[in-house]
Amino acid sequence: MTLRKCVVLSFTALACFTGTLATAETKPAAAASVKMTWDELPDWSGLWVMEGRIIFDNSGKDPTRQFPPLKPEYEARYAAIVKDAVAGKEFDPLTYCLPAGFPRVLAEPFLQELVLRPESVYWIHEQQNEIRRIYTDGRSHPPADELYPLWEGHSVGHWEADGTLVVDTISLREGIYDRTGAPHSTQLHVTERIRKIDANTIEDQLTLVDPVVLTKPWHVVKRYKKLNDPSLRIDHWACEEDNRAVVKDGSTDLVLPGEGGSKQPGAAGFREQAEKTPQLKSQEK
Amino acid sequence: MRPLARHTLLLAGLALAAQVFMAQAFAHHSFAMFDRSKEVTVAGTVKAFNYTNPHSWLQILAKDENGREKEWSFEMEGPSTLMRAGIKPGALKPGDKVTVKAWPLKDGRAAGAAVNITKADGTVLDPRRGLRIPTT
Repeated sequence: MTLRKCVVLSFTALACFTGTLATAETKPAAAASVKMTWDELPDWSGLWVMEGRIIFDNSGKDPTRQFPPLKPEYEARYAAIVKDAVAGKEFDPLTYCLPAGFPRVLAEPFLQELVLRPESVYWIHEQQNEIRRIYTDGRSHPPADELYPLWEGHSVGHWEADGTLVVDTISLREGIYDRTGAPHSTQLHVTERIRKIDANTIEDQLTLVDPVVLTKPWHVVKRYKKLNDPSLRIDHWACEEDNRAVVKDGSTDLVLPGEGGSKQPGAAGFREQAEKTPQLKSQEK
Repeated sequence: MRPLARHTLLLAGLALAAQVFMAQAFAHHSFAMFDRSKEVTVAGTVKAFNYTNPHSWLQILAKDENGREKEWSFEMEGPSTLMRAGIKPGALKPGDKVTVKAWPLKDGRAAGAAVNITKADGTVLDPRRGLRIPTT
């Protein structure tokens, strides 16, 4: 612990020390949180991609499913989804250009960027421009009567002296962890310990508690690798631009270019339509 | 001799069950509509290359078995992934002669998910290369 660091004893109580902190003797037990200045924040710069398969928990071997500790009724529902998928009948909310949402977004394969500020961390995902805002300014979650289900939930966090970001997230929507369809409820409560374990790896240790769906806490480790091409950048991902995926008989299907009837014709569709419609064509000019 | 008329349906002999969820994992939608146990090869001429989200589309005009012109639609990755694969917006231009290898739609419509595209000069474009990004 450096002299420069103020120790946050809880999200609401702040105390600054002028000498070595007692945590050296009393660690780790819920290590004391520290207030990071701009100079003290760790270097998590660059672009990152998830390591491993596109599945929330990579610890299992089965490529068709994963094994959260589900209560029997949810296990039965999940088994049915997996059976349908193996038989070729699949649906994924991403088809409608809905966000992955948290925590599923942690298991998506595209580029990610972590923007660290003393008072907040923005975890930016390329896919559909999803942004998690994690407040590290000492605020608590909103009061219970202000909570409603959100795609990214409410996240508050704090730093520990070794550069670990501890995050607490509530107020989530019902959702799935990945395309295999393992479910979670609005009662899902996620705590994360995020740190850089070597120059090119960020690790996120998650504990997922869901009293509705899970029989016990589910521990998952996810790792992200740094990309070695500094010229790469994240561009805006407008999913509705030319989305041709539709749902037919409970499974995902496609409207092909030229077939018409796409739910969201988007920019390309607009141009095709403009050629046939003088009124639209004049608007384009 | 029909240089533009090769619609060969090849059984790739892939183990389908093990592919569920995994092979489709990089698309924004499920891959259930494609038959990944087969590959179709279509030689033809580029009509359009739409570099759009969430997926890009390559439109090909090719002759069918009876010599009639037929339009094929091939889904590719979105712009950011294609760019990382080195497939820039001008990589495929109307009029270009190409051969597309793809996983066909199960329902028989003239479409598929592009596996690779071979240009007239022999260059092979692999749209999924953008998903195998080198890490440090």
